[in-house]
Amino acid sequence: MNKKMQTEIFFGPNFPGVPGNYGISYNFQGDTVVEAEPNAGHLHRGFEKLMEQRIWIKNTALVCRICVMEPDINEMAYAMGFEAIGNLEIPERAKYIRSIILELARIQAHLFSIGGNCGAIGLYTASHTGTLARDYLLDLFEEITGGRVYHIYNRPGGVRKDISDETFQKILDTIDELEKERMPEFDHLIFENPVAQKRWKNIAVLSQEKALEMGVTGPAIRATGLPYDVRKLMPYAAYDKVNFEVPTGSNGDAWDRLVIKRDEIFQSINIIRQLIKNIPDGPVNLDLGNGLKYKVPAGSAYVKIESARGEFGYYMVSDGGLKPYRVHVRGSSNPVGLYGVVAELPGTRIEDVPVWAHSLDVCPPEFDR
Amino acid sequence: MRTEEETMKLITNRFLDCNVKKLRPQNLEAKVPESITIDILSHLKSHGYSHLATISCVDWIDDNEFELAYHLFSYEDRINITIQTRIDREKAKYITAKELWPVAQFYERDIHDFFGVEFEGNDNLEELILENWNHTPPMRKDFDTRKFVNEQYEWRDYHEQENAD
Amino acid sequence: MDGTYKRGSWEEVMDWFRKRSLWMLHYCTGCGAIELPPTMTSRYDMGRFGISPMATPRQADLLLVTGYLSTKTLRRLIYTYEQMQDPKFVIGFGSCAINGGMYWDSYNTIKQLDKYLPVDLYIAGCMPRPEAILDGFLELRDRIESGKADGYKKYKKNFEYYQKNQEAVLGEVQRTQ
Repeated sequence: MNKKMQTEIFFGPNFPGVPGNYGISYNFQGDTVVEAEPNAGHLHRGFEKLMEQRIWIKNTALVCRICVMEPDINEMAYAMGFEAIGNLEIPERAKYIRSIILELARIQAHLFSIGGNCGAIGLYTASHTGTLARDYLLDLFEEITGGRVYHIYNRPGGVRKDISDETFQKILDTIDELEKERMPEFDHLIFENPVAQKRWKNIAVLSQEKALEMGVTGPAIRATGLPYDVRKLMPYAAYDKVNFEVPTGSNGDAWDRLVIKRDEIFQSINIIRQLIKNIPDGPVNLDLGNGLKYKVPAGSAYVKIESARGEFGYYMVSDGGLKPYRVHVRGSSNPVGLYGVVAELPGTRIEDVPVWAHSLDVCPPEFDR
Repeated sequence: MRTEEETMKLITNRFLDCNVKKLRPQNLEAKVPESITIDILSHLKSHGYSHLATISCVDWIDDNEFELAYHLFSYEDRINITIQTRIDREKAKYITAKELWPVAQFYERDIHDFFGVEFEGNDNLEELILENWNHTPPMRKDFDTRKFVNEQYEWRDYHEQENAD
Repeated sequence: MDGTYKRGSWEEVMDWFRKRSLWMLHYCTGCGAIELPPTMTSRYDMGRFGISPMATPRQADLLLVTGYLSTKTLRRLIYTYEQMQDPKFVIGFGSCAINGGMYWDSYNTIKQLDKYLPVDLYIAGCMPRPEAILDGFLELRDRIESGKADGYKKYKKNFEYYQKNQEAVLGEVQRTQ
């Protein structure tokens, strides 16, 4: 390789092509990447150390800030870890409400991600429309929980308060409008657009062997043909009581991943309708006594749930005291954001690098913590 | 597709020194000595447990030991196994798992940043998340974060207005 | 921050024009940045006030510090702030810029923003809603017109004070030419 033709460029943290506050340093030969190295840690706040200093109930307000795009998965996994160590069984109505909240969070995360993907190729109209459609779902969250972005609604033992019948009707009206009026607009604008299809087909291909070896999960591995979804492999909350399909692709390129996200929005709408129709009556949380004195016996547990980007895991260790002894967070874009940059990027052209980063859903707050 | 009992026998039939128990449906936990951990991981990987979720480290300061935990999953059996092993806290050295899973080099680099554990065979243990950090590794239990903050940063004084001019 | 630097009459006319066209640097430094896309798009449109996003610091007037700052980001942010041309304004978002916020006992985040950079306006909240952000922008426009938003003059005059605080946390800091 001719040394004079190589340039070294820093796609630093302030750059529109990377999703978030994250840097990658490249070595280019002409227009093609030869070497890449990640530069992470700009968003590090030291969550795992902070969680050891606060009692069990106070961490529910802190833990939702780990993943900014989809905060509900963190609260849910933390509560599930607490219940797993203590062997607690929560009421049925709480399981159904948790599943409804998780599916609404999945729809808004997919809309945001589709908007980000379109912004990466220059289709800014689609990112504006996607953000607007997501805003109506944030209004629903504000009515149910009190906050637009950070909800603090799940707590160990169940959920914080009940949902009334008028709110259930509003949820059904909003997702009806999303399915019948907004999704056909997206189809017409994005998925039937021949210019956009050319920018996404056969770009950023991740093969099945590489995906299994790296430990990649979520839409990226379903695009290679394997129907792996934590909601079917190890069911949690109320997912074993509803019928839904897991969409798959065949090529493993960026186009397949986007179509899977669109299909999953329709599946989530179907799940929410089934849950609201069959929800039982009853209490919504367990009475665990004084909130400032929650305790579980000594032990450890690894729990995982399916976020919009893949498997999201928490490893929690307790020593029987009032504060957690150790909490370790495994973000879903951990393998792709760190090792994937070193192993998969060499060989891509410079204009496909933002498409690679956005379509594989690199989310920097998850691995920086 | 194996049940939980058959998977427990997969380990105890070949390695006699291990303590395997079932925590909940589809979840197992095994405590193994450090001399045979890499052999157990390679044995499980060849029998279907090929998905490594992450590697965690816990600081048991009262026992003077670090504990490394490897989380494995099998897509055919649908069972989670956590392999826990203890190493000495003063020496803080272990063998790398990068020959089995190449992605483990980044998980071990993360543990080196926060706990100071060295991994033989992993030649890239530079700083990943922290920058220019010269004090004790921050996740150890003897690093007091509130004392560090009081010495390094100043709090806002709400009683007197500090004017820069 | 209270209009102690006197301005001439030509500058008064220029400030009347400047407040109607502010270009904001689109640098998402912390978790408060998730409420910026709704503010920029059609529901809570901020383009009707003349504010629009811009990619490079050399062509921007307004720096939004959205939330907390880790020490790694602070080093790059100082480099970015010194690349911007005068007159420039800084807004601190959320409670993390005021006194450390939720991460008050973290070893990696800074606790007060105005020891390291001169701040013209703070917006309270965790995180601020789009309506609160627009309210903050309107308040900033009034301050620009009346001459009170003079953080950039304060930075040049008291540079040793800011430099001492920055180097106490970061060690040696690289400066723009």
